[in-house]
Amino acid sequence: MHHSALVSVTAAIILAGCASTPPPTEQMAISRAAVSNANSAGGNEYAPLQYKSAMEKMDAAERAMADKNYVRARQLAEEAQVDAKLAEMMARSAKAQKAADALQDDIRVLRQEIDRKSN
Amino acid sequence: MKNNNYLAVSLLAVAILAGCNSIPKNSSLADAHNRYDNARSNPQVTNLAAIELKDAGDTLSRADNALKKGESAATVDQLAYVAKQQVAIAEETAKRKTAEMAVANSAAQRDQVRLEARTEEAEAAKRQAAIAEQIIDQQAVALAEASVNAERDQQRFEASRAESDAAKERAARAQQAAEEKAAELEAIRASSNRDQARFDALAAEADAAKQQAAMAQEIADQKEAELAEVKADAQRDQAIIVQQQMQLNELQAKKTDRGMVITLGDVLFSSGKAQLQPGGMRNVQKLADFLKQYPQHKILIEGYTDSKGSSSLNQDLSERRADAVRAALVNKGISADRIATRGYGEEFPIASNDTAASRQLNRRVEIILSDDNGTILAR
Repeated sequence: MHHSALVSVTAAIILAGCASTPPPTEQMAISRAAVSNANSAGGNEYAPLQYKSAMEKMDAAERAMADKNYVRARQLAEEAQVDAKLAEMMARSAKAQKAADALQDDIRVLRQEIDRKSN
Repeated sequence: MKNNNYLAVSLLAVAILAGCNSIPKNSSLADAHNRYDNARSNPQVTNLAAIELKDAGDTLSRADNALKKGESAATVDQLAYVAKQQVAIAEETAKRKTAEMAVANSAAQRDQVRLEARTEEAEAAKRQAAIAEQIIDQQAVALAEASVNAERDQQRFEASRAESDAAKERAARAQQAAEEKAAELEAIRASSNRDQARFDALAAEADAAKQQAAMAQEIADQKEAELAEVKADAQRDQAIIVQQQMQLNELQAKKTDRGMVITLGDVLFSSGKAQLQPGGMRNVQKLADFLKQYPQHKILIEGYTDSKGSSSLNQDLSERRADAVRAALVNKGISADRIATRGYGEEFPIASNDTAASRQLNRRVEIILSDDNGTILAR
């Protein structure tokens, strides 16, 4: 089972080099979902460069698919996926940081109130 | 478990291979390796983003393999780019998880702080409750004291009421005694009043008698005074009468039926003349003094002649002689109203006209004095 998996991965790598490459339909779907998630997470706002790159690469991948340049389409789709993923992660970490900062502010205010009350 | 072992072996192999190819032939791949190594040395990333970091490592191995197999630079670059981005994803994931943990910690911290706040509030409330309880205790003590005081006051009140009742009773007895005394006193006073009334009546009678006596005395005194006055008047009148008598005597007055008559003799006038002579003037002066002293008297001056000569001549002469005396008296200050005159000529002789001596007696002026009311009886 493990051996067969390792063999199939190796075969896939070898096949990628071949001219007769099948269209990366699954990768395209994964990349589109990644871009969509990045948008939802606020990538456009928190990581505009990464999000823009993902969008452009996704567009380019779509064009490569249309040109049946599947190798190029896969490469672009993979880059668009990681760009989008990065944009999403940046947005989420920025939000989390914001939330943490807001909480720290809350705590500070609360402590001041306590100090005032106890005084 | 076998799966994990296999994974560890393959990772080790990758590491060895990476170490063998210590001289990278692709700059972007080298850059990706640097970033990957940095991320691996960061315990935050290895602990919090192990899966993401493994993805980056896998991609990096594929890139290394592609390079070793002499695949195109574009393929190697593309894999290196994906690996680089996956490293960034791993780092960002680590940051996110750190922040999320901070959020969780902060939330816990905030809850702790809130708890502290609530605790503080509760403590404050407890303190207030304690103070309130203390106040209540104090009030309870005060109330107890007040209750004791009230009870003591009640006892005092009852004691003083008993005293008061006793005092009232004594007062009532005293009042009764006082009333009895008052009744006795009233009886005595009534009797006293009666006696006093009697006394007053007697005193009033005595006063009236005294007053009558005083009045009688006064009348008596008055009468006596009047009597004295009358006596004095009588004495004075007597004196006047005596004096008058003396003066009349001096004037040779004679008392006749017609009153007092003063005869001025013939010697006062020259024969056949009506001119008064100096000796006659002295008698006129005396008469004037008398008339001044007794102003109530009036006089009638009557002139007479002897029978020598015609009767009409004698009548005229008698009248002129009476007038001459009147003029002399007026000249001495006697009012003419008091003096009346009349001439009778040769009538009413007082002697015979035979001899010279008796005719001289008939040639005369008689002055008749009125009484005190001024009345003169005519001839």
